Amino acid sequence: MKTLRLRGGRVVDPANPGSGTIRDIGVRDGRIVDLHPDAPADEVIDCGGCLVMAGGIDLHTHIGGGKVNLARLLLPELQRDCCTPDAAQAWPEALDPAAHVVPGTLLTGYRYAQMGYTSAFEPAMVPANARHAHMEMGDVPILDHGAYVMLGSDELLLRWMAEGKPFEQIRDYIGWTLNATKALGLKVVNPGGISAFKFNQRKLDVDEHHSHWRVTPRDILHTLARGLTELGVPHPLHIHGSNLGIPGNIESTLATIDALEGLRAHLTHIQFHSYGTEGPKKFSSAALQLVEAVNRHPNISIDVGQIMFGQTVTASGDTMRQLANAHHASPRKWVGADIECDAGCGVVPFRYKEQSYVNALQWAIGLEIFLLVKDPWRVVLTTDHPNGGPFTSYPHLIRLLMDRDFRNEQLARIHPDVAANSALKDITRELTLDEIAIMTRAGPARLLGLADRGHLAAGAAADIAVYREAGDPESMFTTPEHVFKDGVRVAYKGRITASPVGGTHFVEPAFDRGIEKHLKAHHDVHGSVRFEHLAISHDELCECSRCGGTHVVACEPGGAV
Amino acid sequence: MNETTPPPAAAPALAAHWTCPFCPLLCDDLQPDAATLGLPDSACPRARDGLSALAGAPASGARVDGRAADLDDALAAAAARLAAVRQPLMAGLGGDVAAARAAFRLAAAVGAICDAVGGDALVQGLRVQQDRGGFNLTLAEVRERADLVVFVGSWPEGRAPRLIERFTAGRDQGPAMVALGAVPMAEGVESVLPVAALADSLTMLSALVAGRRLERPNPELQVLAERLRAAHYAVLVWEPAQLGPHGGLLIEMIQRIVVTLNQSTRAAGFPLAGANGAATANQAFTWLGGLPLRSRIGHHAIEHQPQRYGAARLVAEGETDLLLWANPFPGVVPIDTPLPRIVLAAPDAAATLGDESNTIFIPVATPGVHHRGHLFRTDGVVLMPLFALREDGLPPLAEVLGRLAEAMEGGA
Ligand code: SF4
Ligand SMILES: [Zn+2]
Repeated sequence: MKTLRLRGGRVVDPANPGSGTIRDIGVRDGRIVDLHPDAPADEVIDCGGCLVMAGGIDLHTHIGGGKVNLARLLLPELQRDCCTPDAAQAWPEALDPAAHVVPGTLLTGYRYAQMGYTSAFEPAMVPANARHAHMEMGDVPILDHGAYVMLGSDELLLRWMAEGKPFEQIRDYIGWTLNATKALGLKVVNPGGISAFKFNQRKLDVDEHHSHWRVTPRDILHTLARGLTELGVPHPLHIHGSNLGIPGNIESTLATIDALEGLRAHLTHIQFHSYGTEGPKKFSSAALQLVEAVNRHPNISIDVGQIMFGQTVTASGDTMRQLANAHHASPRKWVGADIECDAGCGVVPFRYKEQSYVNALQWAIGLEIFLLVKDPWRVVLTTDHPNGGPFTSYPHLIRLLMDRDFRNEQLARIHPDVAANSALKDITRELTLDEIAIMTRAGPARLLGLADRGHLAAGAAADIAVYREAGDPESMFTTPEHVFKDGVRVAYKGRITASPVGGTHFVEPAFDRGIEKHLKAHHDVHGSVRFEHLAISHDELCECSRCGGTHVVACEPGGAV
Repeated sequence: MNETTPPPAAAPALAAHWTCPFCPLLCDDLQPDAATLGLPDSACPRARDGLSALAGAPASGARVDGRAADLDDALAAAAARLAAVRQPLMAGLGGDVAAARAAFRLAAAVGAICDAVGGDALVQGLRVQQDRGGFNLTLAEVRERADLVVFVGSWPEGRAPRLIERFTAGRDQGPAMVALGAVPMAEGVESVLPVAALADSLTMLSALVAGRRLERPNPELQVLAERLRAAHYAVLVWEPAQLGPHGGLLIEMIQRIVVTLNQSTRAAGFPLAGANGAATANQAFTWLGGLPLRSRIGHHAIEHQPQRYGAARLVAEGETDLLLWANPFPGVVPIDTPLPRIVLAAPDAAATLGDESNTIFIPVATPGVHHRGHLFRTDGVVLMPLFALREDGLPPLAEVLGRLAEAMEGGA
């Protein structure tokens, strides 16, 4: 029962009263505790001149599972001399961003921890690939993790919707799937579209019919969102919308919000879905329209999926759109798959260029969204790693959001038409430390239902990052002085000091077990694994994730909309 | 034991859950007798062979230079030899995920070069993945959607006896099947013989599928190209290990045909590969360090050299001074070499060791027979759970590698 006192830091903790005050933080048994100023402590760390924040939480980052490993196999040239456990533990002097496009799991865990992040969530776990995803996440050292399982292009859901099966049956199927795959949430990617592509359909608008099953994305979205609401899953439906990357897709994005009819949902990498068709190039920012809709719909949260200039790779479940974009591949190679009547994946390497009109506009759109949405609790800071750029660019992104002069300097370097015309140049807002803390910790914790993460009140997990308040925000957020995971110091000035195994966060919503006979009947005909072997037990999850701890996140069935 | 009153013959205790680990299809619907490891005569011959190789008591315990040793002594000797060399080679890699994780850890501790079992075939597929990518599909997709399946270059039945069954079971109407440059051993499969070499056939087929007009097209290939273009969903199947030293080139052509077809219709590839845990080891190494096998896991860098780091070549050219062989499946024969060897293998490997004067042999249990675990299926997407049928008293490969890693990390 050792007690640790972090003394005299400025505590930035917007989830609790008194954020920004200078005070001590106590830690015992991996938890934050109230510590009387005179109470003895076994260890005291002077945090004078430092900011003390909860550990960062990345709610959308492709860190593990089939398509991530395919990306590594596709791109050996992006691996650098830093991938071994030994080498990764030191923050490299000259940071080569390409090294973090598709790092191995070891490097992923170390780099996140070195930046003060203590949790990361994989947003696209294919049911058939769930064991693999948990294996990879288990091999990401230090970080807590979890995943959103993909439904919405699985043949079973589409069939049942087409056959008009009762909603309760579909709801229980969702509940079963979340339990069986040990998922934290539910993701839908191009609703119905991944399946439609298997039937050779190349486009699917929100109100268009799947050519075979005759259901629409609108119906799929509403059905899944309603299912999660009734099951009481804290994280709302995680939506990768229709028509990713297509000029004018703001229409489908607004239609998606409309389809939800007020049900809660999280629209991910929304930057890629906020495009208009104005101007000479028929490609324009629709950030204003998007922001207006988000401001008006309190049921909607977003993460941005900011793009960063340079080499990266896009890894997505959206085979339909990835195949359409494959001719942009740089370097010229890509990989894809149709998966188990469940889903699909497409991996296309890409280089975002400052002098490309399209890329420059994408960059500006992302920043406009960050800066124009009023409620920071509904905006999460992401680059959709690695799709918009590697997660190691977060400190740079934070500086862009906090420092208008710096932002305008960068704006001046990109394609001149964008620099001259973008609404970005007139936006004066600079995000505050509280707002950054919300978008990178407190907000995602709340959106995921992680009651004891993302804040520093007594009882919370002692996931803490201590940043020296000096220099610009980019350098400050790159290398914290100290990082603690469950009370253990894991990084000190950029060096890894301990490498505990992170825990898995998942939900276990109640559902009617009667669904299993229907699932088995379907699976016996259409599956390739015995139904009895699909579900992951707690013991098996432990084997997969190296027994770093299982955190069952509470569900509240019938919860309010 | 009273020999005059034998216990009543026990009813066979059929395993309720079993995943067959003996080929990359990982069928999970057979029920062996957990005590005898027996399967009915009608069951898959490869599964029967795999189990019967493990049915007797382990043929050998640990041995150091041919003399029986207990596990602890053998491990201590192995650690001492590992500590004494400059460039160890870990070869034959394959096993469940736990073994691969432990292998990576050991490799990182000693700076080993690592190669897969069947590394030459692995590298043919890898080269295409690295140079151009591809579009594949998984087993359930084949069964659900394929209306034309083309087997390119080999007929896989001997190595994956239930492949056709798994493509077609439960379907009202199975896909049309064509063997290109392979002799089919099943009914109802047409065969298109290669024009000359398989590469020439694929070149021509690729051109025909792309709609190019050729001066003297082979009529059979012309028909096949038409059928591929007319299919709703065509699947091309190949076995990298059967395509020879230029397999990579052939796989590239196959993937080019898939890409062309996907411009107007649907198609995908289905490689049959990664047996004996090779695919699993390769996946785990890739996710841990970022780079696949045929890599040196050094302290400060991982160096990936798909051509140079072939185990047979390294041994032959003297570029390694110790071979650590690690594979827990029966019937896998370790490389023979006068170099110091540490062989972690199924007990039947003992009979293949030859001169043991410089060899430490530690028999290990087989995943999916003696203990639980996970293996990747041939499509690389589905990670199948393995179940234990019965214990044989031998340690899992992961445990042996883990103990060696611990010893080497401590000594470093
Ligand atoms: S086909 Fe392969 S996996 Fe299936 S039973 Fe036979 S050997 Fe085992
Ligand atoms: Zn994403």
